[in-house]
Amino acid sequence: MNTLLLQTISNPDVNIRAILPETIVAVTGIIVMLYDSFVPKQRNVTTAISLIGLAISAFFLISMWTGTPQVSWNGMITNDNLRMSFSIVALLTTAATILISAVWIERENVPAGEYHALLMFATFGMMFMASGSDLVIMFLGLETLSIATYVMAGLRKSDLKSNESAMKYFILGSFASAFLLYGMALIYGATGSTNIAGIAAKIGDPNFPALLLIGGAMLIIGFGFKVAMVPFHVWTPDVYEGAPTPVTAFMAVGSKAAAFASFLRVFVLGFPVGVAGSSLAADYLHESWITALAVMAMLTMIVGNVAAIVQNNVKRMLAYSSIAHAGYALVGFIGAGVAKTPEARDAAIAAVAFYMLTYAITNLGAFAIVTLLGQKNDRRTEFEDYNGIGFKSPVLAFTLSLFMLSLFGLPLTAGFMGKVLVFRPALEAANPLLTIVVIVAVLGSAISAYYYLRLVVVMFFRERTTDWLAPKIPATVAAVLIITVIGVLYFGLFSNDVIDKFSKTTAPAQAVQIK
Amino acid sequence: MDFINENLLTILILLPVFGALFTLGHAIYWKHERDLKWLTLIFTVINFLVSLFLLGSQTASSSGFFFEKNIPWIKAINTNYHVGVDGLSLWLVLLTTFIMPIAVVSTWNAVEKRHTAFYVFLLLLESAMIGVFVSLDLLVFYLFFEASLVPMFFLIGVWGGENRIYSAVKFFIFTALGSLLMLVAIIALYYLYATAMQGAGTFDYVLLAAAMKAGKLPIAAQTASILFWAFALAFSIKVPLFPFHTWLPDAHTDAPTAGSVILAAVLLKMGTYGLMRFNFVFFPDASRDYAFIFITLAIIGIIYGALVAMVQPDIKRLVAYSSVAHMGFVILGMFSFTEYGMQGALYQMLNHGISTGALFLLVGFLYERRHTRQITDFGGISNVMPIYATIFVITTMSSIGLPFLNGFVGEFLIMIGMWNSTVLGISGGTNWNYVATMIAGTGVIFAAVYMLWMVQRVFFGKVTNPKNKGLKDLSWRELGLIAPLLFLMVYMGVYPKPFLERSRAAVVAIQERVMGQAGGTVEKSVTAPKAKN
Repeated sequence: MNTLLLQTISNPDVNIRAILPETIVAVTGIIVMLYDSFVPKQRNVTTAISLIGLAISAFFLISMWTGTPQVSWNGMITNDNLRMSFSIVALLTTAATILISAVWIERENVPAGEYHALLMFATFGMMFMASGSDLVIMFLGLETLSIATYVMAGLRKSDLKSNESAMKYFILGSFASAFLLYGMALIYGATGSTNIAGIAAKIGDPNFPALLLIGGAMLIIGFGFKVAMVPFHVWTPDVYEGAPTPVTAFMAVGSKAAAFASFLRVFVLGFPVGVAGSSLAADYLHESWITALAVMAMLTMIVGNVAAIVQNNVKRMLAYSSIAHAGYALVGFIGAGVAKTPEARDAAIAAVAFYMLTYAITNLGAFAIVTLLGQKNDRRTEFEDYNGIGFKSPVLAFTLSLFMLSLFGLPLTAGFMGKVLVFRPALEAANPLLTIVVIVAVLGSAISAYYYLRLVVVMFFRERTTDWLAPKIPATVAAVLIITVIGVLYFGLFSNDVIDKFSKTTAPAQAVQIK
Repeated sequence: MDFINENLLTILILLPVFGALFTLGHAIYWKHERDLKWLTLIFTVINFLVSLFLLGSQTASSSGFFFEKNIPWIKAINTNYHVGVDGLSLWLVLLTTFIMPIAVVSTWNAVEKRHTAFYVFLLLLESAMIGVFVSLDLLVFYLFFEASLVPMFFLIGVWGGENRIYSAVKFFIFTALGSLLMLVAIIALYYLYATAMQGAGTFDYVLLAAAMKAGKLPIAAQTASILFWAFALAFSIKVPLFPFHTWLPDAHTDAPTAGSVILAAVLLKMGTYGLMRFNFVFFPDASRDYAFIFITLAIIGIIYGALVAMVQPDIKRLVAYSSVAHMGFVILGMFSFTEYGMQGALYQMLNHGISTGALFLLVGFLYERRHTRQITDFGGISNVMPIYATIFVITTMSSIGLPFLNGFVGEFLIMIGMWNSTVLGISGGTNWNYVATMIAGTGVIFAAVYMLWMVQRVFFGKVTNPKNKGLKDLSWRELGLIAPLLFLMVYMGVYPKPFLERSRAAVVAIQERVMGQAGGTVEKSVTAPKAKN
């Protein structure tokens, strides 16, 4: 591509290998759908097909993990650690969700084929949100994910709450998507590119600096909605409470992680500071989004933690806790934004990815137990329903306690390592605002002890007055619990390898390849 | 032998964990709940015996620590599994391993439900407590510091008294809040080190302390005082220093006997240990500057604890408030920054562990018999339980600080240390060290008042309550339990030299670090101070 002519008419840089994991997931979704329409009501078969598809996808994904950032599809797809780590989280979340759902599908008698197909498409969307390095691809991924989750939230068709949840999520979600798209359009107007690297290259000298700022603000609204950042969080508790529990798990973990992947890529890599020959606009934009996110991160942690205290429903409590956790992840995010060197930036991004991984593992385990203990129509999710079950079903109760302590961030659990890693980059910046953010995060964690412990307290310290039969733990849930418990302890004790894998790059700066 | 000596601390930490797993496996497989206490006892006794190796002669490494072990743990954040003991932590580790078998036997018949979980938590707690005292990596220290909360939380919450849920949650949240702020300070130190060294940061205590001592890690005064307070708050809550003490009476009252014993004997020491180990060494200037605050709060704690203890209707609560007063003495001695004061403080930590631990045990014996702890329910107990009464009085005396018993040595050293201290200085024509010592001294008198008054009301006079008539005196198990504690009370009161000698080097090093060369109060010629001259 050494002449201008060749450049302009060069064929698209097709590289199927680069999007193979995504393709496999999408194909699996189609197979599941087709299979279901010819041989309906084969829950176990569709479960197996989906899991195999995810496994193959994971295999190819890991085989691509070289540590060297590669750009393909004319800069639309970037294969770097950010993509890898968040895609792994996405695949893991979906696999766990499928296993958790088995018990629920049986209880509620929902059409499993559709559900599994939808989950596959949602995963496809999540993975594109992680790998896309172009606003258009990100938006595509986001919409694929969102539409699938809107439907899944309303899967319990006869239940009013589930309907309410789906409707709320759909209306507010479309609204947020509109903001996001408008923001993207404005960014394009300012920089003339939808490619992240292109935006970053042009940001020092934008066409209309004002567009950049308005566009950035709108992107924050759009992404903020998806990650449940205050003040764009109001949908979360209702939607999480009303949606079927496994779907709640999927939304709380998967959607959030995927949104963080795009959010990180756009802001940290797309709106950097100190670009050569930069005008004031780039620095001003950088400063603005850092300040805005810092303030919102504090609000997110305060609102999430304080509101969680007064909840009487476990799912709602977990919803507010997921808001708080978005706040903690934002601390690392901002740390990545203010990092002074590319290495520090990559380490901070890896920290956020690791945080999402630990959060995913812990939360999926907790939701598995909540699903198992729930009855038809997801009743039995109030705190009182957990009264005194501790010694009646010690395995479930101690496991759930472990997850609660990990969410709180107790040392020796994954949650602690995650928190240490995300607080680190923010403190490294030695910036007064960020130090305050970290202190708010720490105080928020202290507050969170109350509501996480509350579940432990009702399970172990209270006596049960009514009869309660410990549920049998089916093999699928047992598998999830074993994996998540091992994960929580493993990441708490030996997180070294994973962090290494997430942050090490063999070639530091990413190659810029713009049409 | 070599293997044991090389990995001694790791064995001490892991043995209880192994014991917990073994106990759990045994309970699941055999379902004999009766065996569990024996198993737990065996594991704690083995751990105590192994811990005696600590007393063997060993050469210190260059950093002044014995039995050091340093293995990389998480390279990404440069944290190492670094453990070691010195004179400061040695006795606290031994105190822990010594008190654990006693705590286990104290619950011999007291645990009525959920035996498996109870013993598993006890063993996990032991491991976390030892971990706190031996870790030389700040992150590992923090980890054990927090990890010790969970077993205690369960011990109080499941096997506790009436208000157990409130007390357990209060205990957890108070301590967690403080320690989270410490975590921020720990991470901040990591970056200060990274900036100063132009390289990777570290959580290593030895490296940080050496860099600070050599002046290679300059910390602005303002930053240093913020970090000082972040550490100090976590430890002050744990001690607990007035006004952070409110969790203690609740936790003590509602904890089962074993829990109270461990809480008093070991958990509170984590706070004072932390202050000495981290605050003094990392922030000597701030420690000196703010010493007056700690001394004031310690004195308030001494007087306030004593006054509140006086009016408690519940024996256990009375002992709990006496803990507040005693820990006030420890803080006072530490912040005198004299060798006597600090040695006395360390000694008083051990004394408090032994005497107050014994008091909680004794209260537990009485509670098991009568299921009440109200002073008004008793009276004339010495007529029906003479041996018990004798032992109780001796323990009381030890707690008050009668000469020839351990409490006296500690309090006396603390008083001398405070009297000679220069940390408060002279202003307005008043030597405030004298004032502080004199006010604190009245605390000893108050201690005598509340303890003896309680003893009088419980043990002497006629048996007024008919329910007390048939009370049995101590069984052989209970006697065997209290005997080692009694022996130590006397031994440590008569011959403190071996204890003080071992801790001297470490304490003096910290003292010199705080006061610098111009301390003036270091009397190098004095060997281990003797209590009675």
